[in-house]
Amino acid sequence: MRKYISLLLVLILPFSVHVHAAEASALFESLRHKVLSVKDYTADVKMNINVTYMRIPQLKGTLYFKSPNKMRLERNGGLSILPKKNINLTLSNLIPTGNVTVIEVGTAMIGTKKVRVLKVIPEDEKSDIILTKMWVDEHDLLALRTETTTRNDGTVIMDLEYANYMSYGLPDKVTIYMDLKDYKLPKGVTMDYNNETATQQPKDKKNQKGTIKITYLKYDINKGLSDAIFNKADKE
Amino acid sequence: MIQLLRIELFKIFKRPRTYISFGIVTAITFVIQLAMLSDGKSFVGFALQGINEQFDIHGNILNGYLVAYIILQSLLIHIPLLVALVAGDTLAGEANLGTLRLILTKPISRAQLVMVKFTSSFIYTVLLIVWLAIVALFLSLLLFGKGDMINLKSDAFVMLLQNDVMWRYAAAFIFAVLAMTTIASMSMFLSAFADNSIGPIMSTMGIVVVLTILSNLELPLFNLIKPYLFTTHMIGWKGFFDDPVPYSAIYKSAGVLVLYTIGFITATIFYFNKKDIKS
Repeated sequence: MRKYISLLLVLILPFSVHVHAAEASALFESLRHKVLSVKDYTADVKMNINVTYMRIPQLKGTLYFKSPNKMRLERNGGLSILPKKNINLTLSNLIPTGNVTVIEVGTAMIGTKKVRVLKVIPEDEKSDIILTKMWVDEHDLLALRTETTTRNDGTVIMDLEYANYMSYGLPDKVTIYMDLKDYKLPKGVTMDYNNETATQQPKDKKNQKGTIKITYLKYDINKGLSDAIFNKADKE
Repeated sequence: MIQLLRIELFKIFKRPRTYISFGIVTAITFVIQLAMLSDGKSFVGFALQGINEQFDIHGNILNGYLVAYIILQSLLIHIPLLVALVAGDTLAGEANLGTLRLILTKPISRAQLVMVKFTSSFIYTVLLIVWLAIVALFLSLLLFGKGDMINLKSDAFVMLLQNDVMWRYAAAFIFAVLAMTTIASMSMFLSAFADNSIGPIMSTMGIVVVLTILSNLELPLFNLIKPYLFTTHMIGWKGFFDDPVPYSAIYKSAGVLVLYTIGFITATIFYFNKKDIKS
């Protein structure tokens, strides 16, 4: 009898794992399809950059996005500051494209929501993304958190909050946590005024984290943005 | 007193030397603006390379506000010389011409004469800084346009929104007047000892250069004396371009500069009252 049960388990277990993996892949594919269905958008945004060595006021402006990786912040003649192109501010840039291997690693709670945790590994060895870990709300088909390890820009963690544009998979609030390098200029060059509010340096200078909080006030989705908007940014 | 001040101002603005200062300010400003027009982008690129590794910054970075800041940074080292050209001549110049004795035969006290000469030097300093504001700030805004201003510190990148910059410049220029008034008072103090103006002018420059080097050297020995040097506090105007503005440090710096100014004027009056004037 024991022999039969063991044999049955040996036969069922790989099948069960396969079914689980297939489910996880299907969930990821559905999510990716939803996210990538947004080809472009224009959004009124408020951006708060919180980096140890940067003192930047809240920036208000219009954020333009065009799939796959074009992005521009316009601020009525003011300066726009965005993280380097590799670490784009949209979810679509942090989800691997092409063939991927999806592994489900369990469930977790984000707030009051129970989410499934997936690890996504791109099969393309040249991809800038090495691994993406995603916390997916299966019911609404939304990624509530992503943790993306990139080849050149360290790890980028993104927390997403949804409200009005859930059907497009577009968040209303995004908090991005990114790795940063140290910043220093010689005092002889800057001739600093030795005031009492010197920038507080983190204890671990090599592993500084910066956060960017973006509040999306209003989206215009899939209106067919021209490339000229982004080329203008390159010329500046 | 007013009549005496008018005479002093007439003397200052009758001399061609006075206008050399305004010419020098204009020339240096033009040279920097020309350099920024021709190669400013590579300058900005070099300055921002640490930031550009991680962030993309777009827009008119090299705008009038940034150019004016660069000009101020370089000019506020040279302006003490231009202030000394006039303030160092106030008493020593009269002694050299042999008119000091003649003036003192009039019914005014020596202290009054020192105060009038100091006031005339102060008015000249204010006009020089106003001229600097016109050519460095307003002309730069005309040439390079407006925009958000960036300020690079040794350990921080500060960005100021364009509608939040003008008041900072106004405050910075007022602080610059205070700093240059300290230089004027020191130059006049040195002028009281001399019988020709070259000595006080050169001495003023020598003191400013040596103390500026001490203020900027990062050595523990000098760190002890830095807070007491007026050159450490002369760059307090930069504080207005920080966020948040370090008001307590600026007030402290302004206080130190006022104390130095009062000290120099008091010492000048004290010495000048006792001086045996032979010419």
